[in-house]
Amino acid sequence: MNLQGLKDFLSRLRGRPPVPFSVLYKNFKGILERHNAILERIGDMGDKLGGDYVFDRQYILDSCEKLSDQVFKLVADLGLLCQRRNVALFTAFERIQHNVSEELAGRRVLLRRDHILPLSELTHDLADAGGNKMASLGDIKNILGLPTPDGFVITVGAYFEALEAAGLRRSVAERVRDLGGVDCGNTVTAGNTQEAEGIGRLSQELTAAVLKMPLPPGLARAVEQAVRGLGCPGGQLFAVRSSAWDEDGESSFAGMYETMLGVPAEGVLTAYRQVLASLFCEEALRYRLHHGLCDEEPAMAVGVMPMVDSLVSGGLYTYAPLSEDDQAMVVSAAWGLGKPIVDGTAETDTYLLRREPPHALLSADLTAKATRLALSPDGGTRMEDVPEAERCAPCLSEARLGQLANAAMGLEQFFKRPLDVEWAVTPAGKLVVLQARPLSIRPSGGPRACADTTVAVQGAEVLLSGKGVTAMGGVGAGRVHVVSEGEDLSAVPYGTILVARHSSPRYAKAMPRLRGIITDVGSVTGHMATIARELRVPTLVQTGSATRTLREGQEVTLDADRMVVYAGAIEALCRFELEREDVFEESREYRTLKRVLRHISPLTLLDPKSDDFRPESCRTYHDIARYVHQRAVDKLGSLAETHREIRESAPRTLATRLPLGLTVIDVEGGLAADTGPEAGEEDVRCRPMRALLEGMNAAGMWETSPVPVDMGSFMSSVTRTLSADAAHPARLGRNLAVISREYLNLHLRLGYHFTVVDAYLGGAVGDNAITFRFMGGVTDLTRRSRRSRLVAEILERYDFMVEVRGDMVTGRIKKHPTRVMMDKLFMLGGLIGYTRQLDAKLGSDGAVQHHFEEFMQSIAALKEARQ
Amino acid sequence: MTVEDMEHSGNAADPVGSEPPRRRTSILVLDDEPIVGKRIKPFFQKVGYEVEAFNQPLEALERIRQRRFDVVITDLKMEGLDGLSFLGKVKEMHPDTDVIVITGFATMETARQSFRKGVFDCVAKPFKLAELLDGVRRIEKERGLAV
Repeated sequence: MNLQGLKDFLSRLRGRPPVPFSVLYKNFKGILERHNAILERIGDMGDKLGGDYVFDRQYILDSCEKLSDQVFKLVADLGLLCQRRNVALFTAFERIQHNVSEELAGRRVLLRRDHILPLSELTHDLADAGGNKMASLGDIKNILGLPTPDGFVITVGAYFEALEAAGLRRSVAERVRDLGGVDCGNTVTAGNTQEAEGIGRLSQELTAAVLKMPLPPGLARAVEQAVRGLGCPGGQLFAVRSSAWDEDGESSFAGMYETMLGVPAEGVLTAYRQVLASLFCEEALRYRLHHGLCDEEPAMAVGVMPMVDSLVSGGLYTYAPLSEDDQAMVVSAAWGLGKPIVDGTAETDTYLLRREPPHALLSADLTAKATRLALSPDGGTRMEDVPEAERCAPCLSEARLGQLANAAMGLEQFFKRPLDVEWAVTPAGKLVVLQARPLSIRPSGGPRACADTTVAVQGAEVLLSGKGVTAMGGVGAGRVHVVSEGEDLSAVPYGTILVARHSSPRYAKAMPRLRGIITDVGSVTGHMATIARELRVPTLVQTGSATRTLREGQEVTLDADRMVVYAGAIEALCRFELEREDVFEESREYRTLKRVLRHISPLTLLDPKSDDFRPESCRTYHDIARYVHQRAVDKLGSLAETHREIRESAPRTLATRLPLGLTVIDVEGGLAADTGPEAGEEDVRCRPMRALLEGMNAAGMWETSPVPVDMGSFMSSVTRTLSADAAHPARLGRNLAVISREYLNLHLRLGYHFTVVDAYLGGAVGDNAITFRFMGGVTDLTRRSRRSRLVAEILERYDFMVEVRGDMVTGRIKKHPTRVMMDKLFMLGGLIGYTRQLDAKLGSDGAVQHHFEEFMQSIAALKEARQ
Repeated sequence: MTVEDMEHSGNAADPVGSEPPRRRTSILVLDDEPIVGKRIKPFFQKVGYEVEAFNQPLEALERIRQRRFDVVITDLKMEGLDGLSFLGKVKEMHPDTDVIVITGFATMETARQSFRKGVFDCVAKPFKLAELLDGVRRIEKERGLAV
């Protein structure tokens, strides 16, 4: 115990008079309200990434400021409630707040401090650590599931560490920033000469400094180990590629940074340094200056990948250049390794393919390919002659071309850009994607595209319009496939527009092959929508009638931004989408919001019983809110020990007809005045509680029929509820209701489900509010997610605002007349009972629909009987 | 008017090819945060509007001196020239240009003032693109444009 702890302990012994309970209770209610407000703001901020909204930087700044303020006050509230200074929690708050403001100031906070990240762990979420190019390759491999080479990236963090160890980081950043400052003061003519000289000198100095900078021993070892870890045979060669922040193939810093091919294992560290040094080449500095990027700290990650031994390699442009009218893509291919093709020194076969599936071959221009670059058995590469018979033979079969085209179009849809794809076919016959870069096909003016789309759209028949909600924006064309119940989705053909009655996370598997998703029912914040956004599949939910309006096999174009479905494939509209100068997901505002949200919205503190459930483990504002909420609820349960004056409102067991094992704290008028230490249901005066119990007790709602697969866990969950929860003081606060006449805050753990109901039904309609939260479960994730979906759909049907995060469903409803709100609570009571053991039974998606209907019917019948 | 109406009526009035295309409704967007114009412009272009976007009030004003726009969408709080005097000048030059104001909550009071200056509609930031389109569609309906 430290000194402060000792002092606190002594002062407690001296019997400091406790704060009056009424004050603490008010404080507790304040915490609940603030907690809800915080979750709502976090949800709001997340919504803005959906694509419907236009927001600016000011919005991000304001939201972060208000949120930080709310979280700070929440932590302070807990301090007041618990009569302790939560130093550790304030420290966690300050750390997160610091990270948020660093992100807002353009200094990115690296979530991973590793020197090395394997490509198999990399996606665009880690672009800050892995750089843009390698993060894109990571997306291709890990999100889209296309084969790429193995490999790893030496992170931006490693670069900073090396720079810092050499005492260079600050001076490099300052000198680059000064470069931007000098420019402003100069006249145009004088500026050009001075600028050129200044850049040349700066470039030389910085490049030299990086080239001779010693690498920290730990970093050098990590790189060497990672190279060995690739498990390549001796003599294996590597490609060492730049992957800088803001490096985006064609549009920014195009080809300015170094890529070293054919590097032997022992040369990787030297190549690494050379690639780093290219961050300060003249061209890149000039680009920085002219694009106002001098204020952003330059940073570089470097990718290391084994060179792929290839039978055939080449490139593919998803839009053939120079042929404005053709909707064609172009493939160039040659025997052997790809370097001569990329360099433009090799003779290649050229194929034109249609952009629309099945990507018919338009033309094949074959040449004689006399030589090829091959891996040499003793290391390195060598040019060799191509056997006579193969020289004039086509490098690619039509089947292979089709496979290549499918992969490329999938990439284009994901990156929302026309692409230049570098690929290879291994001797084992596997197609590997080596790189995908944006390709410029933008016409010089904007109006042409504009005219095209209007004309094209004017001619088109509108099948569906103005209905639904955009879950992911964008345009996609393809053939409709209406999903039937229980169908195996692995057979859904490539390029399909999936049309379904309900949204479902099980479509995730097929998503990389889909051009779009349209559902009758569904939520923008559900699992499926989240995955669609991750994979950038244009998605429209809640259209009401898509499954009836759209026919199987029909060719359609979905414009999810505008919520319109046209008959036929409208190429001009798809093309317009790809010609947009600014992809929303790449805008600075989008990326900033997404980056700050990493410190705000993920919930990593899940299990209150785990040792990790402590302030030090809070990584996000959501974590802090969760922690405070849990501690506040725990605290309230133990207040009776310290507050003698609340003997009357001391925790009491509530004998309910159902085995709830419920402890009640009555704050004010929640129980009848003459209630003894053992309260019964008839003593309850709390209006929300009464309505909820009524729903739970209603005939048939409490699910007690034997559960065939899972009887054991069913019984154990009942006994657990009866004995352990009621008896164990440590568990007090788990099945706990805090009530007053108008207010109910209920935490209920039944079996393995965890339910929270927070309801206030006061006099004024405007104050009425119910929040319902549902999470947990014993079964596997699929079943749990089915149950979340069932709960979400039922809540939505009852006009709740529903949010689904992982397997937690939150529903909120406000400002309805008290009578209506009582009905909602009655329904919630029924729902709690009904879903208690349900996930064990949700063996198929069809079962969700069945149970949904069953529940709706029973509750409707009960309500009628009640009235 | 729904999208369907517009597309179909547009189609009827303008068979592709032979006749000169119908006059598009023209929109000028002004916001000193470039992202706003970048989002609005392609969205409206895609449904057949003619859109120009500006970040500098003075440049936008210069453009309005050169030609008339059917609709002006402007932020109220900007550096250089404040939104209220901007829209005053627009109305002075082209009384029949309709103005939609987009604004943060902080300037709601100014938004109220702007209504007195003849603003057609007011949209609070952050806003949905569909809300803005609704506003423009109502202007078109009242002015008998795009039919």
